[in-house]
Order: sequence, then C-alpha cells, then structure tokens
Amino acid sequence: MTDEAKTPQEASLFTAAEDIDVREIMADIQRRIQEKKASGVLRQVEIDEIEEMELQPLPDFLEIPNVYENHLYPGQDEKPFEPFHLEPELEGGAAKKVLGVFRRLLMPIMRFMLRPFRTDLQNLVVELHNTNRQDLHHLKSLVPVVQQSKEYVKLLHNTINNMIVEASKLKIEEELLKTKIKVLEDKAAFLEERQRAVEKKLHDGS
Amino acid sequence: MKVHQFLTSYSYGDAIGNEALEIRNYLRDRGIESEIFSLFYHPRYAGQIINYKEYAKYSAAENVVIFHFSIGSPVTKTFLRLPDRKVMIYHNITPHHFFLDYHRVLAKDCFKGRVELKNLVGKVDLALGDSRYNESELRELGFAPTGVLPLVMDFTKFSRPMVPVIKDIFADGRTNILYVGRIIPNKRIEDVIRVFHFYQRHFNANSRLLLVGEYRGFERYLSALQKMVARLENPHVHFTGHVPEDELISYFRLAHLYLHMSEHEGFCAPVPESFHLDIPVVAFAAGAVPETMQGGGLLLQRKSLLETAALCDRVLRDKSLREQVLESQRRVIRGYHRDRTGRILIRHLQDLTGNDEALNAAGDSSS
Repeated sequence: MTDEAKTPQEASLFTAAEDIDVREIMADIQRRIQEKKASGVLRQVEIDEIEEMELQPLPDFLEIPNVYENHLYPGQDEKPFEPFHLEPELEGGAAKKVLGVFRRLLMPIMRFMLRPFRTDLQNLVVELHNTNRQDLHHLKSLVPVVQQSKEYVKLLHNTINNMIVEASKLKIEEELLKTKIKVLEDKAAFLEERQRAVEKKLHDGS
Repeated sequence: MKVHQFLTSYSYGDAIGNEALEIRNYLRDRGIESEIFSLFYHPRYAGQIINYKEYAKYSAAENVVIFHFSIGSPVTKTFLRLPDRKVMIYHNITPHHFFLDYHRVLAKDCFKGRVELKNLVGKVDLALGDSRYNESELRELGFAPTGVLPLVMDFTKFSRPMVPVIKDIFADGRTNILYVGRIIPNKRIEDVIRVFHFYQRHFNANSRLLLVGEYRGFERYLSALQKMVARLENPHVHFTGHVPEDELISYFRLAHLYLHMSEHEGFCAPVPESFHLDIPVVAFAAGAVPETMQGGGLLLQRKSLLETAALCDRVLRDKSLREQVLESQRRVIRGYHRDRTGRILIRHLQDLTGNDEALNAAGDSSS
C-alpha cells in the first residue's frame, strides 16, 4: 500500500536516510505509547485534550469599531430622515368625488335636521378648528425638539458604545501588559541566574 | 559595472539581511562595487545601509540591482522604475492567513506582496528563488528566466566560543530541545510546545524547551502561547526573545535536538545550521524544508504530536540512531558553502550581462 492510499494514522510519521529503519522505529514508538496507555500513565483523554488545545489569542482592538450607528440604525444613510406631515389629509381622487355626490344629494335633509343646533354646531366646529390649529402649531414647534432628542439619543448610544470599546481595549491592553510583565519576570529570573553564574566564575577565578 | 541590492527591511540577525550582507561582502572581495539599499534598517547598520530613496544617485543602466523580495512595500515600485538591469531574489511570502488573527498590518503587506509579485512578471531580467521550491512558484507565476541561488550559509560564525554564562545556566544535565526563529504564527510554536510537553511529561522529565527568537510585533501571539504554557502547567518552556549572535551560537551548542514544526518555510536556515553543529533535527515537511534537509535529519510527513514526542525521545536515547541521523546530516551539509553560492551568483550575473570584464575577473578569482 502506498502512503497516499493510507489513512493519516497509517502513513509513516517521518522519512529519513535510507540506512535508518523507519518501520522499526515506528513500531517501537507505537509499542511504547501503547505501554504507557496500558499502564495508565498516559490517558487518551489527556492526549485528545492536548492535541485539540487551541490558542486563545486576545482580540485585536483595531478590529473593534468605534462607531456602531450602522448597526443600530441600519439603512439610515440610504433613507434619510423625512419631516412628519402634520397637515390633515383629506380624501382625494375617486372617493372624494363619490362622497361629494352623496353629500350634495343629502345636503337639504342634513340642513333640515341640523337647523335647531346649527349655531351651536357652527361654534363648536370653529372652536375645534381653532384648538386643532393651536395644537398643530404647538406640534410643529416640537418637531425640531424631537429631532434634536433623537440625535442626543444617538450620541448617547455612541458614547456608551465608545466607553465599552475603550473598556475592552483597556482590558486587552492589561492582558498584553501582563504578558510583558511575564516576559520581564522571566528575563529578571534569567538575569539573576546569569548574575549568580558570573559571580561563581569570578569567585572561582580569584 | 556595479551590483547593488534592494531590501524592504534589514533586521539584525535576519536571514535575508544576512544574505544581502554576505552577497555584498562577496562581491566587494572580488572588486565589484556593491551597496545595500533598504526602506527600514536596524540602527546598528546605520553606516552600512543606505535609504532606498537615495538610489537615484547611484542608478545607471549598466548596473545590476538585486531586489530581495519577501513582502509588499513601496520599494517594489521604486525598483520597477529603475533603468538598471533587474534581478529579483524571491525569498517567498508567508501566506497572509497566518497573520489574520495576530497582525493585521503584516497580513495586509503579505497579501499586497503576492499582488506585487504578480506585477513583477515580465519586468525583471532574472528571477531567482533561494530554493527550488521558491523557483517553482516563480515559474508557475510566469517569470522567465528563473534560477536558484541558495541562501548564503556562513558557518564560520559557529567557530566562536560559547558564552560561558549561558553554558553555566543551561548545561546543567537537562536535555535541551531547541527552536530558533521568529515567534510568529506560521512557525506553529504551539505545536513545538505541545510536542515538548508530551516529551517532558511522558518520556524525559529532565528536559527543557528553548524558544530562541524575536517576538516583537507579535505580543498577542506570544501572550496566547504563554496562556497555553500556563494551561499545560509546564514550567520548562523558555522564551528567550531576541538574543545576540554569540548567545544564539551558545544555545545551538547547548541543544540536544532541534525541533521545527513550521507550516510555511521559504528555506529554513536553522536546519542547515543545526546540521553543521551536529544537532539531530526533527522538522515538519512544509514549504522548502524537505529540499533544505535533502534527506538529512528526520522529516515529519504528518503532525502527530505524541508520536513526534516519542520519536524525539528515541533519537535522544538511541545512540546508534542518533549517529545515523547525524551522519545523514553531515552528508547534506557538505553541499552548503558560502563560496558555492557566490560562484552561482556570479554565473547568473555573467549570463545576464554578457561578457562583463569585472564579472569575468570575479568569476575567475572564485573558480
């Protein structure tokens, strides 16, 4: 069977010079591993755990976006804000024409029926109209306030996002500093050993 | 005629930088004017390396410019615009995916490097790879003519004595397993650590792992490795960081076995260095590693961490096997000589320039 036809487990682990007996070495390796497994020194769980152990790199803070408006307000750029229409919309087109016909036909009866309350109703309608006009005016004056508030909310979201981003960056920075401290600790330990070795050399020389 | 070299980065102790320096010295020894121009360089070499932007003063159509290409950079654009005859030495570019989780800028530069490499097709007079593996990549991309210029290996530095203090600290009877190289993701240091962990826990408790190499710029990778070491609860893993050359030589001399699990290599200089120092090598067959080992040492065909640990143990315990491995390495190392690479370079340059007097004279003196 050629190496290509073999499964990864069956294919030879290594190649070497012709005078080296790869087969015998592989058999010896397998035997020793089996012995260790049989004696319980080496467990399959441990082998799997180490072979499958993956590196857990710290995230790159350059990959954390500072602005996340596009995620919070998707499609905002394509569809810009449109002002609210507060003017009452009347029926138009065919409906308006049909209703107009009915209204004209029924108008004499309506006038007759409403005659006793005509003045009251007229006053009421005028009053309602005035109130509506005032409300409309008030609402119109509120539109910029609402829009401004919306921008403030967005700013607030971004501020919170940026604070979270900065906190995450600080955490990553802290982890990196820990690594650097570990490296410095190792170097300090090595230098201590070096110092002892130099002192020993000096002592032996004197 | 003058032969100058272009680099993106000249780092202290870096294989490409060393190669450029060796080529420059080799050419200067043979009376050919040669300078090194680089975008970045270690302050230690401030007097020896010139900023690549100053090359305009040196440029001439009859000159040859050798560009050591290994990453995307603005140097490529400058190189392409030169009127000089252009030679590229391709040292391979690490696939960018290795760096995605750890170094976005380098991932981008590696990606850009592959794009720039394609842009260089048809625009250089000669494309050389420092291994057949690299040359085959160049040919696949459409470069012509191509050739191989083996990495200049200067073993004379290993004749220096060991640093006594390092010897005192690490020559304490423990078995030293060594890895030399940058602490970067494509080198799969996590595999080296896990193999060592199996070895130390189940085959030889009296052992340590020495990871010798620069980790600056890859602190997040180092941090992840340290976390792994902490999870394994193994206190015998030592990260030395970048060390001066004499200390590096000491670590090599103290090593009982060299372990390399990298998944991408354009050449892998520590392997022939270990061969030279009679250190048995166990290395994973990735990239140009099989070609660099040329049948010497033990070449892993698949990654099985426990079996690799058992193999390391067998090599370290079995004297006759160890001797066989070392003999196979000695056979290979005879082919690596500084002069051989120099002669190949001169031959390539002669082919490129025709009958140049300076090169012919240099060729005569080196033959």
